[in-house]
Amino acid sequence: MSVAPETVWEPKIIGFFCNWCSYAGADLAGVSRINYPPTVRIIRVPCSSRINPYLVLRAFQHGADGVLISG
Amino acid sequence: MPRIGVFVCWCGSNIGGVIDCPKLATDAVNLPGVVYSTEYKYMCSEPGQNSIIQAIRDHRLDRVVVASCSPRLHEETFRKTLARAGLNPYLLEMANIREHCTWVHNKEPEKAQAKSLALVSRAVAKANLLEPLFPSSIPMTKRCLVIGGGIAGIQTALDVADAGHEVILVEREPTIGGNMVKLDKTFPTLDCSACISTPKMVAVSTHPNITLYTYSEVAGVDGYIGNFEVTIRCKVSYVDHTKCTGCGDCQAKCPTKVSNEFNLGLDTRKAIYIPFPQAVPNKPVIDAANCRYFTTGKCKICQKICAAGAIDYEQQETIITEKVGAIVVATGYQLFDWAAAYGEYGYGRFPDVVTGMHFERLVNAAGPTGGKILRPSDQTEPKTVVFVKCVGSRDPAKGKEYCSRACCMYTAKHAHQVLEKVPGAKVYIFYIDVRTPGKAYEEFYQRTISDGAVYVRGRVSKIYQLGDKLVVRGSDTLLGRPVEVEADMVVLASAMVSSGGIEDVARMVSVQVDKDGWLQEAHPKLRPVETHTGGVFLAGTCQGPKDIPDTVAQASAAASKVSGLLFREELATDPMISTVNQAICTGCGLCVPVCPYQAVELKTITERIPGHAPRERTVASVNSGLCQGCGACNVACRPGAIQVKGFSNDELVAEVDAICL
Repeated sequence: MSVAPETVWEPKIIGFFCNWCSYAGADLAGVSRINYPPTVRIIRVPCSSRINPYLVLRAFQHGADGVLISG
Repeated sequence: MPRIGVFVCWCGSNIGGVIDCPKLATDAVNLPGVVYSTEYKYMCSEPGQNSIIQAIRDHRLDRVVVASCSPRLHEETFRKTLARAGLNPYLLEMANIREHCTWVHNKEPEKAQAKSLALVSRAVAKANLLEPLFPSSIPMTKRCLVIGGGIAGIQTALDVADAGHEVILVEREPTIGGNMVKLDKTFPTLDCSACISTPKMVAVSTHPNITLYTYSEVAGVDGYIGNFEVTIRCKVSYVDHTKCTGCGDCQAKCPTKVSNEFNLGLDTRKAIYIPFPQAVPNKPVIDAANCRYFTTGKCKICQKICAAGAIDYEQQETIITEKVGAIVVATGYQLFDWAAAYGEYGYGRFPDVVTGMHFERLVNAAGPTGGKILRPSDQTEPKTVVFVKCVGSRDPAKGKEYCSRACCMYTAKHAHQVLEKVPGAKVYIFYIDVRTPGKAYEEFYQRTISDGAVYVRGRVSKIYQLGDKLVVRGSDTLLGRPVEVEADMVVLASAMVSSGGIEDVARMVSVQVDKDGWLQEAHPKLRPVETHTGGVFLAGTCQGPKDIPDTVAQASAAASKVSGLLFREELATDPMISTVNQAICTGCGLCVPVCPYQAVELKTITERIPGHAPRERTVASVNSGLCQGCGACNVACRPGAIQVKGFSNDELVAEVDAICL
């Protein structure tokens, strides 16, 4: 794998966020216009206890560089 | 193959000003399953919603993706739109391209465009797998349990009962009334606390819809919204209240005197006692720990004197079971144990260092001094009184981090009462800040200053006894110099903390306790009296410190929520809960202990396979009334038999695959 010197590598991060707390927190970040890198993408789950280890591995398999679990 | 329609919302310039919405709509057409895609300025508006309905009909859409704001804001709106178009409302998926994209990536529109498409393709991938869901219904028991008979519980019980529902009010003390009935006057109007609370207590005891259990505790709660089963333990009073007339002869003749907790130990009561003359019910209980008969085996004076024959030394504890549909927790507060934490104020060794509640009893016409302000040590009138605010409040090192809210105002009231009742009195108030948010509160505070109260900004560092005086040493942080006052009495505005045993109640009704020990509401602003457990509501200071007006307002709010619930014949449950595929469930039971709501249990089913004898097998079963759809069981399930509808394994995997692209 080669990275062109002029491009800055940004990790692709998949977030699994609990609907009741951190998903609402991400909404609040939006309302507050708090900028963060656009490579962060969020999947809504009903609770952090719904996150299966398989989903985390699946994200890595499909090209995620990091997984953020928040709940 | 599903026929998915994608609807991209501009949200005015919120989304449309950052990304190219028409391009997003065009790109979305290429996603698998999408047969139609469009954009509009405001999708949630009437014309926007109508365009969705029209497109569902024109293009025979059976799944809808709306790319707009957060589903937490408009999921319900668009579900209703689908229902209006004749589609199952759960065939909707939203892509949050406003809060999670254009609002936070407005400086990088190109990357925002790419992320929007990823978010839409995630939603489309999930939409492909969505299935219609149908709410089930559970019956409603039209009765309400209120735990706690303070002003919050009283107000809730009266409001629910007035709405026509049966109420069961449980209070652990021998009388209802709580903390409020101990108070003298109430700020800012200075009306007498007893005059406004005792009529409500009487109203509770005479209301045909209210069943009152005093001297009783909730011992267990089973069931779920609409169908709770509550176990109530009635403590032994040794007095048959059906026979007792409340004449008070037993109390007058009882030879044993013990410290009176209603007056916070400022005087004594008898071993058989009615807590105070206006108690409801106005009937005595025997304090067995101090009763001469129970401790020495001889006495029985109360039994001999009782004309009604109500004294029953053989009485046993009774357990009562009641069915209710809703529960309101109104367990109130107690005062912070300052003596254990504040060594510099004497650890409670100095009798004339008292709390605000002691002062309430001292200044109360029905209190131990008949309303004369007399200091406890020598019953003389204090000429110099020092008030110390924030004792245990706003002090994370020794007490609590939070502000107890009511102390600034009651201290102002106490100062006013000293200046009014004691001629020539001097009043000093040590404070950190003066907080008077409330109708007519600031005016009251200003009046106290003009009465002559001296406000000193600073904490008190030391209180010690010098002769018959208390020396209060502190600092005036506005003048930047130390202050020393020789006082006759010191009143501490100690913090409000949640009442003892709150953890047990919280566990029974499955409500969270927050970091400060208060019960956690569902949302601090928008759902202040609800909890995350369906059918359980909060009223008053069990949720956090508040004064009487706020407590009463919250109690009425809880009552209106309960009434709204109890007016329904049956309840529609959220269909996004766990479901068991019995065919592949192995009955291992791993899902049972992980459920925080006790919603999963094992049951035995009989399988009938043609050609085989009927066979019994254990499988998991989900109680739809208890399940909150968290999905912990889904993760624990090895064969994948238990799945959360709307968040199934297949759906989430499809989402991961799509969003990673």
